[in-house]
Amino acid sequence: MAALSDIETIPHHRETRANTLHWALAGALVLSCFASLQVGATDVTLSTMLAKLIHGETLSQIERVVLFDIRLPRLAMGVLVGAALAVSGAAMQGLFRNPLADPGIVGVGAGAGLGAILAIVLGTLLPAWLIDLTGNQLTPFAAFLGGWGSTILLYRVSTRHGRTSVATMLLAGIALGALAGALSGILVYIADDTQLRDLTFWGLGSLAGASWAKVFAAGPMILLAIGVSLTLGRGLNGLALGEATAAHIGIDVQRMKSTGILAVAGATGAAVAVSGGIGFIGIVVPHLLRLASGPDHRTLLLNAALLGATLLILADMIARVVIAPAELPIGIVTAVLGAPVFLWILLKRRGLVEL
Amino acid sequence: MTRKRNGFAAFTGIWIAMFGAVAALTVSAQQAEQGGDPHADVLSIGGSVTEIVVALGQQHRLKARDTTSSYPPDVTNLPDVGYMRALSPEGVLSVGPSLILSEEGAGPPEALDVIRAANVDFVEVPDALTAEGIIRKIEVIGAALDVEARAKGLAAEVEGAMASALADAERPANSKKRVLFVLSTQGGKINVSGTGTAADAIIRMAGGVNAVTAFEGYKQIGDEAIGLAAPDVILMMDRGGDHGAQKDELFAMPAIKLTPAAQTRSAIRMDGLLMLGFGPRTAQAIATLNDALYGKGA
Amino acid sequence: MSLIAENIRVSYGKREALRGVGLTALPGEVTAIVGPNGSGKSTLLGAITASLAYQGRVSLNGRCVERMKPWELAAIRAVLPQASRLAFPFTVIEVVRIGLQSGTAGDRPEVPMQALARVGLAHYAHRTFQELSGGEAQRAMLARVLAQVWAPVEDGQPRWLLLDEPVSSLDIAHQLQVMEIARDFARAGGGVLAVMHDLNLTALYADRVAVLADGERLAFGTPAEVLTDETLSRAYGCALRVSATPPSGVPFILPHAASA
Repeated sequence: MAALSDIETIPHHRETRANTLHWALAGALVLSCFASLQVGATDVTLSTMLAKLIHGETLSQIERVVLFDIRLPRLAMGVLVGAALAVSGAAMQGLFRNPLADPGIVGVGAGAGLGAILAIVLGTLLPAWLIDLTGNQLTPFAAFLGGWGSTILLYRVSTRHGRTSVATMLLAGIALGALAGALSGILVYIADDTQLRDLTFWGLGSLAGASWAKVFAAGPMILLAIGVSLTLGRGLNGLALGEATAAHIGIDVQRMKSTGILAVAGATGAAVAVSGGIGFIGIVVPHLLRLASGPDHRTLLLNAALLGATLLILADMIARVVIAPAELPIGIVTAVLGAPVFLWILLKRRGLVEL
Repeated sequence: MTRKRNGFAAFTGIWIAMFGAVAALTVSAQQAEQGGDPHADVLSIGGSVTEIVVALGQQHRLKARDTTSSYPPDVTNLPDVGYMRALSPEGVLSVGPSLILSEEGAGPPEALDVIRAANVDFVEVPDALTAEGIIRKIEVIGAALDVEARAKGLAAEVEGAMASALADAERPANSKKRVLFVLSTQGGKINVSGTGTAADAIIRMAGGVNAVTAFEGYKQIGDEAIGLAAPDVILMMDRGGDHGAQKDELFAMPAIKLTPAAQTRSAIRMDGLLMLGFGPRTAQAIATLNDALYGKGA
Repeated sequence: MSLIAENIRVSYGKREALRGVGLTALPGEVTAIVGPNGSGKSTLLGAITASLAYQGRVSLNGRCVERMKPWELAAIRAVLPQASRLAFPFTVIEVVRIGLQSGTAGDRPEVPMQALARVGLAHYAHRTFQELSGGEAQRAMLARVLAQVWAPVEDGQPRWLLLDEPVSSLDIAHQLQVMEIARDFARAGGGVLAVMHDLNLTALYADRVAVLADGERLAFGTPAEVLTDETLSRAYGCALRVSATPPSGVPFILPHAASA
């Protein structure tokens, strides 16, 4: 007979904890935003600038450039990209009912990579007026188109009679990934030395290329996609019980799948386009949150946005400061910090990380 | 449900607060004062550019360098702003340059935009794989640093040295050795230089023939293609370590085993920046490589 | 105000799993579907719950099911699947709440706990679902289903429990408990349609029984009318005798004799 004391052993309501977590994470995000503006390779700090402004003094040219042209766009991009990756990861895991799913499964990564490589290697072959029009934005634009396009393609392939088969999508994703990899390989072979270097750095991911132009280009798409994703919480909870049961409890499963996949493709595509490949945020953040406050997607998605943004900003701070005045690609930082944390979680809480 | 709405409120609240703060700062930001002498503090990007700055006697003006700037050895004491194609704008600004001298291809473009916005002069030094190109580099750098007279002297010196090195290295076509430049042998995959590279240029200048002319740039090459290229000598960059062991390893590779170079165990290692930098020491590089290929005074 | 399935046909590839089967389940009754393995019992329930593609007509409380939105259906009927694999480490109470969200008792936060108490799992409310045994998981899912249609009658309309082998992994005590729950739901005015494996429990609790064999309906009526030597022998393809005691010396245990 099970003892009645079982009720007492887990006295905390995870739901309450998740809601407290909203505020804690929001606070952490605000703090890390200030920290991110405070620290950098130059000795310009936010606090001295604010003090100057309060005393009516003017900022120096360097201070203005560092704050407005470097740190702020970079911060905004970090917040957007971190939130996009973490929310997309959580949504993807919910849609595929698999805690190891990430946006890569729907071909965003492979497609975006192919788009970027095409732009880097073959971009010079475009007509001059088109190059002038796109300017520096050709690579991000091509990456976004590649990521979005491959997701739509996968979605089409795996949808029959108005029903999307998640398993087919997974398999088709593997095939498409292989194809994109092969095409990329051919392009890599054609590429010259400097293009290869560009490819390598693109693949590692970085917020170093942040600019207001990129923030304003990617921002609306990412915010819209995150907003849409946040409405999926109830449906994803239902989906955890299986597709049939989700339908039985009143969820329009097909509509949720298509909305979710499009939102993920939009958010991740835009994020990858402006920052290159940044790994681990999409996997580690939802996992940490599920351990902290349970898998309820109604709170998980929002918390993922907050924690993803916070972690990416902190990782970027490390990337900027550790070997200043040079900097590490942020993808290296997230992988170096993320992978051991992930392994540790798996070791520590093996029972709870149910596959 | 109300809790959920609170969460949303928190989220949007942060956003509004953040961007409100940004807007406030933007509005209150004032015109900044102009910096001092624009040419006092120099950031040099690219190994050959740094060498030329030092050769012009302007080392005291260098504030920082990039990763590829490693000669003369004491410039490595300067702060390193990273790899030239992945510069961090704040990292560059943090070393306080008023002038940036850079080889072609520094980036990313967003970083350069920001750097220019900070009133830092940016001079791109044209790349070149010829004697005239090196002279042009020296002239551009001399002009940027306001030391035209010294630049003229250095240019003349380099021009003379190059002319005599090239003349010394010249030899009849039928006695030229076939040289295979191997960039790397990572994981048994051999990456070699085709045409149009610095390696190709220096091989030809030093009186050799590039064994691989089927493609442009550095590419992986198949084992059989190496046999077909039939190099008399393998040329590699010197990355330190035990040369004897590296040589054994190199000539044990199946692809290279059958080449004429393996039969005579002819492998040359040279400092990468000296050999491929196309800076003021190129004449020395030509002479060194020529000596290594054909023996001293050949 | 009943559940009517007419001329239901389902094929898996070339094999016809159901060949024009119909039945009517009335509110206030427990209707059981029995039959041998592969007879099409679960397929019939699958068609009625629209979990699989079928031809024919299903109506619920006078409305055609196909023309109802998922959430409209969810408000009047709840479905207990045979087995559930839960994707994330939700706690038991959270799983029950997921069912509640879609029902009409969403504004009554005490319902999930009451539903858990009803299936005897209140003390496991904060365990993760994956820690439960097979039988406990089945009862927890029943609690979720109950929470979804907590009131058997709402706005004068009966609500429906559609159960696919609800007692398959339960011990005999819990089998009785679950069948009691189903019968109570029906007695209170709701409708219950259950796919059953156990003929004794069917005889004990069902008001009406449909016997399926080979994709067709063999018989439909009260247990006394339907559970006969002839019908069962034909359905299951072996000689069966109803209400015959085994030779003396061999013990037999019937749920009929159980008392709480």
